Amino acid sequence: MIEVKNLTFSYSKDKQALHGLDFTVKDGEIFGFLGPNGSGKSTTQKILTGILKGHGGKVILFGQDISAAHGREFYQKIGVLFEFPYLYANLSAVDNLNYFASFYPRKQRQDVGELLEMLEFKPDFLKKPVSSYSKGMRQRVSMARALVSDPRLLFLDEPTSGLDPSGAVLFRKIIEQERKKGTTVFVTTHNMLDADLLCDRVAFISNGDLAALDTPKRLKEKHSDRRVVIDYLYQGQRKTKTIETPELEAGISFAHDEIVSIHSQEPTLEDIFIQYTGRGLS
Amino acid sequence: MRKSFLALFKKDCRMLASGKFFLMAIGFLALYTAYVNLGYIRFMQMPPYNVYLYDPAGTQTERSSLVQTVPSMKAMDTALLADANGVGLDASAGDVRVVIYTGAKHVDRHRTDYALSLLHPSDSRAPAVLGRNTPKQKARKEITCELLFFELAAVGFLGIAAVLFKEKGMGVIRVHAILPLQRNLFLLSKLAVFLLSDLIFAALLTLLNVGLEDGGAVLPAVLIQTAILSLMMALVGLLCALLLKDFRQFTLAYLIIAVFAATPVFLSANTSVKFDWIGYHPFYHVYMGLKNAYFETAISPIYYVGSTAAIAFLFLAVQFAFRREIGKEV
Repeated sequence: MIEVKNLTFSYSKDKQALHGLDFTVKDGEIFGFLGPNGSGKSTTQKILTGILKGHGGKVILFGQDISAAHGREFYQKIGVLFEFPYLYANLSAVDNLNYFASFYPRKQRQDVGELLEMLEFKPDFLKKPVSSYSKGMRQRVSMARALVSDPRLLFLDEPTSGLDPSGAVLFRKIIEQERKKGTTVFVTTHNMLDADLLCDRVAFISNGDLAALDTPKRLKEKHSDRRVVIDYLYQGQRKTKTIETPELEAGISFAHDEIVSIHSQEPTLEDIFIQYTGRGLS
Repeated sequence: MRKSFLALFKKDCRMLASGKFFLMAIGFLALYTAYVNLGYIRFMQMPPYNVYLYDPAGTQTERSSLVQTVPSMKAMDTALLADANGVGLDASAGDVRVVIYTGAKHVDRHRTDYALSLLHPSDSRAPAVLGRNTPKQKARKEITCELLFFELAAVGFLGIAAVLFKEKGMGVIRVHAILPLQRNLFLLSKLAVFLLSDLIFAALLTLLNVGLEDGGAVLPAVLIQTAILSLMMALVGLLCALLLKDFRQFTLAYLIIAVFAATPVFLSANTSVKFDWIGYHPFYHVYMGLKNAYFETAISPIYYVGSTAAIAFLFLAVQFAFRREIGKEV
């Protein structure tokens, strides 16, 4: 779906934002693009969505070079959720969505009412202006806007930002559903939980360079120190012991009366990101 | 493309309606019409100065009805004290003596000549009149032209910038970068809404204030000039809104345009004040184009070539600023 080869971009002569990125995103894949502020995430997404011109290297989307593919047809196939919910504040959710939907062919458009229902949007607010909505409600309308054209490729920038935990769970469920339909999803985020739970593969970007690219599971395995922490009870006392994972193969060798819990000590994605880049994600 | 344009056009109309722009335009139309018909025309028909005559012997038998007689010199002093621009004529000693509070020399001479001419109105020579307009009609056309120019150059300019600043603030301009539509349509729909609203405004203002018959006769030419000025001002408004950071910065630009750009144009076009450099002022030519349309005077084809080039140049600049805006970091 997306093929990026040696992608470079400079905002000015002495400000190179991207230093030769290489990655591919397969059809129907959820691909996470992780990096701190100013790392080149937004620049990459803007190039992929055809907003920024003048890049170096090759960017191929839908089998076509991006520089030749930013016409009407290209934009009919993509949906974009921006980091901030950009909506007309004086119009209602329904009016906003009908307006944005009107640029797509009728047969491609999803039903606005059904979309908002799926996103658990409060029905009382359907006809009220966006200016009266909470941040979470605006984010739901923005997500509906990204989905209204039933896109084949979905770009999501911080999709769960501004949502409460149940809203974040709902959004992840919807993104999963999109993938099941065959939609390819390119997620740009700081949120490690989103990346871990959603993404088939993640790429770490730092200072315009790709630091790592793999599945979250493999990245964690690769950097795990293969230890487990066991909480147990022995002679009426609660104790903790850390052992190497291979030791477990022979069973629990130390004396105990009851095992309370076993925790693997694998690192989080954020830990791995710091290991690769020396920088945190916030 | 037609459907996309219609969607944008409808949305822009809603934006303007929610910002009370149309209501404001109707309000301005009513205000201008009331000013022209109830204030300006009456004012223009008023005598320039009050003339007070003290003539105890009744020697000035021919005097105009505009001359007000006073019973004594003391009463004349009181009248002139209250009306310092007035002119007193003392005919008590045979010859008429002029009594005034002095001001600029050439104005004093004019006041004196005017006052004395009112004593013998039949002696006034009838000048050869150029053009077909009556003084009243000339005044109507002049003031309508000025008000229309002001409305297009200041009010409309402010309106389009306000709408775009709103969209810029909401961030929705960036959404249009990823929609399947030609980006120019986003700009063209705004220009179309303002052009249409300005054309309707110009037609109503002209017909209501110049009159149905005379207004109708000049309307096609006035609408062409309105379209030129409207497009130019809308494009300048869009450019300012795209380049400037916030509405406060825009207010400063607005003041510069309204005060420093428009004032010398009005002075040069409507008074005897002439600046050597006024020929280089683009607003002067646009204003004169509008004035020539009202007075049915021929307009040079060079002016049309220049206007078209200016509009094309401004459109390219707006297009560039628009592309820059949608690619900006948040």
